[in-house]
Amino acid sequence: MKYLQSALTILFPVAIVLVIGAAVLLAAGYNPLTVYSDLMTEAFGGQRRIAASLSAATPLIFTGLAAAVAFRVGVFTVGAEGSLYVGALMAAWLGFTLTGLNGWLLAPLCLLAGAAAGMVWMLPPGLMKARLGIDEIVTTLMLNFIAIGLTTWLVNGPLLAPGAANSSTPQVAEAARLTRLMPPSTLTTGFLIALALLVTYAVWQRRRIGGYETLVGGLAPRFARAAGIDMPGLMLRMLLVSGAIAGLGGAIQVLGPIGRFVAGFSTGYGFTGIAVAILARGNPLGILIGAVLFGGLSTAGATIQLFSDVPIEIVNILQGLIMIFAVADFGLRGWFARRTARQTAAEGGQP
Amino acid sequence: MITDILFSALVMTTPLILAALGGLIHRSSGIVNVGLDGMMLLGALVAIIIASGGNWAVALVGAGFAGGVTGWLMSLGITRLRANEIIVGLGLNIAIAGAIRFYLKAAYGSSGNLMLPDVSRLPKIDLPLPGALGAVFSGHSILTWIAWALVPLTAWVLSRTALGLRLRACGTSAASAAAIGLHPKRMREGAGFVAGALSGLAGAYLSIGVVGLFNEGITGGRGFIALAAFYFGANRPWATAACALLFGIFDAVQIRLQGRGFPAELIQTLPYIMVCVVLLLLGLAARRRAQGKAASHG
Repeated sequence: MKYLQSALTILFPVAIVLVIGAAVLLAAGYNPLTVYSDLMTEAFGGQRRIAASLSAATPLIFTGLAAAVAFRVGVFTVGAEGSLYVGALMAAWLGFTLTGLNGWLLAPLCLLAGAAAGMVWMLPPGLMKARLGIDEIVTTLMLNFIAIGLTTWLVNGPLLAPGAANSSTPQVAEAARLTRLMPPSTLTTGFLIALALLVTYAVWQRRRIGGYETLVGGLAPRFARAAGIDMPGLMLRMLLVSGAIAGLGGAIQVLGPIGRFVAGFSTGYGFTGIAVAILARGNPLGILIGAVLFGGLSTAGATIQLFSDVPIEIVNILQGLIMIFAVADFGLRGWFARRTARQTAAEGGQP
Repeated sequence: MITDILFSALVMTTPLILAALGGLIHRSSGIVNVGLDGMMLLGALVAIIIASGGNWAVALVGAGFAGGVTGWLMSLGITRLRANEIIVGLGLNIAIAGAIRFYLKAAYGSSGNLMLPDVSRLPKIDLPLPGALGAVFSGHSILTWIAWALVPLTAWVLSRTALGLRLRACGTSAASAAAIGLHPKRMREGAGFVAGALSGLAGAYLSIGVVGLFNEGITGGRGFIALAAFYFGANRPWATAACALLFGIFDAVQIRLQGRGFPAELIQTLPYIMVCVVLLLLGLAARRRAQGKAASHG
């Protein structure tokens, strides 16, 4: 029953969005069933396509996790996008300056530095939230724009690749690049790091004290405080962890598929990550599924252009609508609660 | 030179004031509207389509209505389906941008741009002012003056009328407002319509007032700058308009400086940095007050 309930709360918004998307496609003169089945084939039909979808899912696993760890303790950060940019630029900068280093040293160093940069980026909003109770949503949203402006400026001026016209850094050292798992696909060991992080999160949230504290803190902050949990400190820590995860995700994009920092490289990974985390209700397996779905949708949208005239933007419409409907409460929980209550009553009042 | 900058500062300020006043009204009713940018984009597109071979006044009504309905729908999601306002706003921006690109491709076969013939532009008002005054204040479109006229109007409605009082009551405490017989949900939905309509007008100003064509990047994130303005103005109409003017001057100066090696990307982040600084200062002041109170009681 519980599984059915969680499956329904995830599938219901998706179903509504698919219906709206179908209406949009119909209105534009396309057959929604063909488009949807084309999208599914392009996303998951065959090994190569699955690899592409998993590659596209990798940054979303990071941003989804980054959102989930903060949401869990009731910190509503939307700052993953900013941390992702800062972490990516940090990794790229080390990757093309420290070219003398050995690969076993350079790649981990870049990844760690990226995570650290993403973490530091979340320090101001974290301190403002923990010490002064300042709304983190607005500060983290503003920091996204600041991060985008700052990194764009850096790669257009001080860090611009010599001779490059577009806003990007030089390529990182070959030694720093992550290994491709299934060449020629851009799926790299970054995906494995993402999986490892998901497993760590799953164990931590179930088995560790921190996982329990954040659960209690998120569900009942006043009780948590009464029970002696340092809520401001916990919120600050989780926001920093969130920033570190997003920064690591950015670093992995740079060392993995892109090979350098390109201004505006993120297609809203941070925001899609929020949708993933909310849709998954913080469940690790749900985050994986959500990230793969969104990743698959975006790669399929790009390739579907090659053989049909369906505008790729249908994917953006679906994505935005899923964000909206994933946070909407359709009263399903109340319906389930009433149903369970009726059943217990029917079974003679035995709970 | 300086009059040129001030003239274009007033141009840049107009969409900011419109959208920021809308956001201010919505926030006074209790909802932080992050979707202003999307509604602005929608307004810009609707306006240019209607104004092509049509009439600018009808185009303004259409843009305002399209934005208003969007703002109303967004509010419905927040009030009736209890969806998180920030996520809904962000999702709305993504969905609207996607839908507009989709529509441009499906209907016009173009990617992100739309140039239409015979666009009826917003009329410019020439004022018989001498010298520098004329150079700054003459030749603005009618929406610029409407935007500035809306500032005292909003201030008056919010502080002096029953409607404004009720709106603010719903924003301050929905439960208390409901207890005295108001309808906080309906109030927020109505405020959402106003916020969307004003953002739609802001978009129309950009498309049929300033440039005369539509581009998917036409808003340039101005919906978020407007958000910064009403946060910075702490929900007071005149302070919000002053911030919008400040950001408008930034914008005008930055365009002038771009050719001279000044980093436009950094100047563009200033409004966002200022919001964080203001929030920090407000937080520090609140703590000092709290400590002062605790000390005087102790």
